[in-house]
Amino acid sequence: MNLAIPNSGIRRRSVTGLWLRHAVSFVRYWKFVITWVLIEPVIMLVAVGFGVGKLVGSVEDGVSYAEFVTPGLLVGNAMFHALFETSWNAYNRMDNDIYETALTTPITITEIAMGDILWAVTRSIMTVAGTAVVAALFGWLNNWEAIGIIIPAIMVGITFGTLGFLFSATAPHMTFLTLVFTLIATPMFFFSGSFFPISILPNWVEPIAWAMPLTAAVNIGRGFALASLDMSHLWSALYLIALTAVLWPIATFLLRRKLIK
Amino acid sequence: MTEKSKLHNDATRNTDGSVIHADNIRKLYGDVAAVDGITFKVEPGETYGLLGPNGAGKTTMMRMLAGLSPVDSGEIMVAGIDVVKNNRAVREVMGVVTQHDGLDGGLTVFQNLFLFGFLAGLSWKDSKNRAHEVLEFFGLRDRTKANTYELSGGMKRRLAIARAMMTSSNVIVMDEPSTGLDPQSRNRVWEELAILKDAGVTVLLSTHYMEEATTLCDRLSIMDHGKILDEGTPDEMIERHAPKEIAQLRVAPASLRTVRDYLNEREISFREVGALVSVKGVNGDRPDLSGLEGTEGVQTTFRAGNLEDVFLAITGRELRD
Repeated sequence: MNLAIPNSGIRRRSVTGLWLRHAVSFVRYWKFVITWVLIEPVIMLVAVGFGVGKLVGSVEDGVSYAEFVTPGLLVGNAMFHALFETSWNAYNRMDNDIYETALTTPITITEIAMGDILWAVTRSIMTVAGTAVVAALFGWLNNWEAIGIIIPAIMVGITFGTLGFLFSATAPHMTFLTLVFTLIATPMFFFSGSFFPISILPNWVEPIAWAMPLTAAVNIGRGFALASLDMSHLWSALYLIALTAVLWPIATFLLRRKLIK
Repeated sequence: MTEKSKLHNDATRNTDGSVIHADNIRKLYGDVAAVDGITFKVEPGETYGLLGPNGAGKTTMMRMLAGLSPVDSGEIMVAGIDVVKNNRAVREVMGVVTQHDGLDGGLTVFQNLFLFGFLAGLSWKDSKNRAHEVLEFFGLRDRTKANTYELSGGMKRRLAIARAMMTSSNVIVMDEPSTGLDPQSRNRVWEELAILKDAGVTVLLSTHYMEEATTLCDRLSIMDHGKILDEGTPDEMIERHAPKEIAQLRVAPASLRTVRDYLNEREISFREVGALVSVKGVNGDRPDLSGLEGTEGVQTTFRAGNLEDVFLAITGRELRD
C-alpha cells in the first residue's frame, strides 16, 4: 500500500487502466466497430479512388488522383474517430458515471484526459493503418516512406482527441454534439486539401483552409505518402503541436469543472 | 485463511485512533453552505451513519471524504491521510460506493470488477483473482459473464459494493446504499453490509431511511441544512429526543373529524400522515384516548419512539419530505 503518491505527477496505471477499459469494450463490440474503423473508409477509398479518379486522371505530374486522395482520406477518417471518441463517447461516459466510478480510484482529471486521448490515438492508428494496407494493395501507396503516415495519425489523435473534450465537457445535451460534426469535422474533411489541392480555392479562402488543423495533418500525411517531405511539413507539425498546447489546458479545465463538483 | 480475513486489509488509523476524522468542514456552492461546519469521528470497525433528508449535505460530505470534491475549509483525516492535501492517496485505501452504481454497461460483470481493480493499481493477476473472490463473496458468481444491464437493481448495488471491495479497503464510504431498492433487495444489501462490519471494515454510510440507520449503524448523526444537529447511538438518540411511547391511530376517513375534535378539545398534540394519526403522551405517560374507545373506524396501537420521531423532534420536520 503506497500512501506517498502525491497528487502531482502522472500515475501511469491510471492512463493504461483507462486505455485498457476502452480496449476491452472495443474488442467486445469489434464486429460493429470494425465497420467504421475499416469497412467505411475502404468503401470511401474505392468510390473516390476508382470512381472520381477515373474522371480526374492525374493531379500533379505523375501523381494519380487515387494516390493524391488516399492520404487525405486516411487522415480525415482518423479525425472522425478521434473526435468521436472524446466527444460522443466521452459524453456517454460522463452520463453513465463511468468517470465518476473511475475517480474513486487514485486517478486524476489529467490522467482521465490522457487515457481517453491515448485511446483516441489508438483508434486513429487502427483506421489509418488498416485502410493504408488496402490502399497499398490497390497500388495507391507505393513508397516505403508511406509508413510514416502513422505520424499524422498519432498527431490527429492527440489534437482532435483534445478538441473533442471541449464539446463533451460543455454539452448541455447529447444533440449538441451533432455540432462537432456539422460545424467542425465535415467542413474540415472536405476543405482541408483531402480531395483537391488548396491552391485551387479562391485566394481569400486559402488562409482559412490552412488554419484548419486537419489541413496541416493532411499535408503531413501526403508528404509521407508521396515521399515529398519538405519544410512545409515541419511547419504543419509545429502548428498542430502549438494548437494542442493551447487546447490541452482548456480541455482539462473544462473536464475538471464538469467532473469535480 | 478464513473468508473474513481475506476481505480487507488491517485498518490504518489516524493519530487519534480514529479511521475517519472530519474537523469543522465547510463547503459553499455560491452563497449557499452545502456543508456548514461538520465535525465527526468514525472509530475502527464502526458503522457510522449520516442521516438526513435530501439536500442535507450528505452526498457533498461523502464526496469530500473521498477526495472527490474540494473542501473550502476544515480538515479531513482518513486512515492517517490528510485528504485535503492528498486526495489521491485517500482513494488508494478507501472504497467508495457512489449514489448511482456507476456500472459500465459496455462490459460484463467480471470485466467491471477486473478493470476497476486494474485501474486502481492491482496487477493483472491479482485483479483477476480478486474479482473472482468478491463475486463469490457477494453471491454474484453465476452472473460473472452477464451484462450489467441484465442485473436487477439489488444485484447492481451489490456489484457496486463488491467493486469498492476490489482493493481490500479497510474503510468504505457508501452514499445511500439502499435507495431505490425493493425491500427484498434492501435486506440482501443489509446482510452484506453486516458481513463487512462483522469482518471489521469501517463503514460510513449516508441514508434517509430510518430503518437502515437503526439496523446498521453503531452511531449516527442527524444532518439538516449542512449541519449536524445531534450525534449518538440510535438508542441514545431515541432516549434523548423521542417520546417513549407513541399512540398510532389508523383512522377511517369518516371518523377523522371525530378524532381531531377529540384531541383538539383536550389540547393533545398530534400529527397526521395520511390516515395515520400519531399522538405522544405528556411526560412519557400514555395519552388519554379513553374517549375514543369504541369509535368506529379507529384502530389504536402503541409503539416505542424511533429515529423518525427523533428527527421530527430536532428538525421540526418529517424526514421524507
